[in-house]
Amino acid sequence: MSDRSNLCVIKVGGSLLKDSGSYIEAAKNVKRFVENNQLPIIVVSAAKGITDTLLEVAKGSVESFNKVFDVYTEIARELGSQRVFKRVLDELEILKRIAYSVSGGYDPSLQDLIVSFGERISKILMVEALEVVGVRALELNARELIVTNDVHGDATIDYIATANHLEKIVNSIVSTAAVPVIEGFIGATEDGRTTTLGRGGSDYTATSIAALLKLNDVYLVTEVDGILTADPSIISTARIVKVMSYAEAMEAAMHGAKRINPKAFEPLEKFYSSTVYIGSWRLFGTKILQVIPGECKGPKVIMHKTSHEMPYIAIIGEGVANVSFIKKVVDIIYESGVEVMGLQTYYYRPSIIIHVKRGSEISTLKLLHRKIFEEVE
Amino acid sequence: MKSINVAVVGFGNVGRAFVKTLALKRKTLSEKYGININVVAIADSKGMVIKPSGLDDYEMLKLCEVPKSGIHMFGSYAKQGVDIAEIYDKAAPNIHVELTPANYATGEPGYTNIVFALKRGAHVVTANKAPLVLYYREIVEEARIRRLMIKFRATVMGGTPFLEMLSSMKSHDIEKVEGILNATTNYILTEMHENLLDFEQALRKAQALGIAEADPSLDIEGFDAAAKLVIISYVIGKPINISSIYRESVAQISLKDVLDAVKQGHVIKYVAALDAQKMVASVKIEKVPRDNVFAQINGTLNGVRIKSDATELFFIGRGGGRIETAHTVLDDVIEVALRGSA
Repeated sequence: MSDRSNLCVIKVGGSLLKDSGSYIEAAKNVKRFVENNQLPIIVVSAAKGITDTLLEVAKGSVESFNKVFDVYTEIARELGSQRVFKRVLDELEILKRIAYSVSGGYDPSLQDLIVSFGERISKILMVEALEVVGVRALELNARELIVTNDVHGDATIDYIATANHLEKIVNSIVSTAAVPVIEGFIGATEDGRTTTLGRGGSDYTATSIAALLKLNDVYLVTEVDGILTADPSIISTARIVKVMSYAEAMEAAMHGAKRINPKAFEPLEKFYSSTVYIGSWRLFGTKILQVIPGECKGPKVIMHKTSHEMPYIAIIGEGVANVSFIKKVVDIIYESGVEVMGLQTYYYRPSIIIHVKRGSEISTLKLLHRKIFEEVE
Repeated sequence: MKSINVAVVGFGNVGRAFVKTLALKRKTLSEKYGININVVAIADSKGMVIKPSGLDDYEMLKLCEVPKSGIHMFGSYAKQGVDIAEIYDKAAPNIHVELTPANYATGEPGYTNIVFALKRGAHVVTANKAPLVLYYREIVEEARIRRLMIKFRATVMGGTPFLEMLSSMKSHDIEKVEGILNATTNYILTEMHENLLDFEQALRKAQALGIAEADPSLDIEGFDAAAKLVIISYVIGKPINISSIYRESVAQISLKDVLDAVKQGHVIKYVAALDAQKMVASVKIEKVPRDNVFAQINGTLNGVRIKSDATELFFIGRGGGRIETAHTVLDDVIEVALRGSA
């Protein structure tokens, strides 16, 4: 068996991929990993906005096809190689043929096929960008490696079949010393029909690869430095959460936290507890572990959401369901005179839910953030 | 360790899948069988790469990333234009893998390439049916007199070892071979039955999914299935000519035909049959009872029944997916490498 100790997974989110410059920027950052003797498997999303545009293509929008065509051909042209430009044109030609064959009626399998081109072309561009900056790179094909069930639009990965595929190629890939690049978000059924993995599917691809190959580190790269204690557009003093547990991350995702896909933790829980780093190329500010040390327990994130037209505040963190923390929250609420419609917590869940009157959620959120996250130190 | 040099001519879907599969598996293959398979040349319709010392895994995988007919853009070792003689002069391959597309009018360029390879002492493995359909005797004779092997398992039920099994039934008197031999038309018919699409809609969907070609006439006019019957006929030693095979077009099936058949407890299938006793063959639209084995062969699956004087066998498997076909081609290459005097 080849040495896999230097393998890791890096997912490059679509929000980072806007133009040729951003592909090169991503490639330069990947190069830093390579220079540090790591061999990252790159999981790439579609360029920014492309997936939504492709959903319109699937509905028959010619204008949307032209938009995808323009974005991707411009990036390919600017990256410079005739070979890759022709390659991207080939892919777009296939996409056009498929899009034009869609006539009336919603067909989820064709929609998945059309949407998959966002990642398929992005992968070609990422491989080219890596080679432009002097990194040997190779394409992997998610539709050959990531096996899923046939729930089009929100497929679930068949871990056993996918692990078999990955195991068969990993040694050969490692021996080429080239950075493999695979599409996130897409896969295929056992009989070869293209599927997509639903919202945040690229994270799910990344953690599945890491868990199935038993790799220690997964980096989920976005445009912010990590997960924040609260939505910064509401609370400007929100800060980065340095360490979280899988349970905390999943709980936050359940309550609608951005940048965390609950499905992504399933393979990590089932197969191998890789460490997940979330952040930007500049700083991977948040580290997510299966088990966090005792001193890291406590509140991590506070957020608000509305369920059945009832607004609520969720405080997420292991240990927040213990009596002393509940008392602390109750005291803050009592002292500030916030009118509470209900409070819900279970000893086995890392959260407290506080139902508040409509219109008071933002002020309550700010109050609790200040008292819990800012005045503690 | 035995070293084998392979030239791959034709670099479409199957060619790429073959080279990729080999790049990913050859280390395991060399450990398992003691053979080192080197790819010394690859050609597509517009260019070629020649590397007499053999392409490494990285180069092979990178070659699979070139655009369609774009091998000349590969950079190192690549050149524009195809000259098979130059491949043989510079790299002397032991096995010629012919994966050019089928041309049933002339058999070219496959036929000329295969004969050239044999004349230069290379064993031949091919997935191209046309040269065999038109020139089976000539090709086999050319190989025989030079004590070379010609392997073509990937031409019929390409994703399975069907032909190998059929040719191994040497003591049997094969009476009939019939079944669903064309994945594209079977997929179209399945869509018509399961999703109630009319023929045009089902064809368009098959084209969108890459199951049907842009020009699907070889499949829907029954030519592809007929070509397979010809190869089967040669393998069992009862050759028939493709022009003698009765063919019906699957395009004439309407959604109403499908609904009528279903009401009567049947499904419509496109059945290719070779009656080796009467020496007649056909590719016909048939109503098959719903509990018949062939009624269960759906989507891109193929299924064949072999009836001999001693037994009856059913064979079901994927027809011509590129990965499956590439594996069958590779199986042929491995077999030649293990058995051949190369």
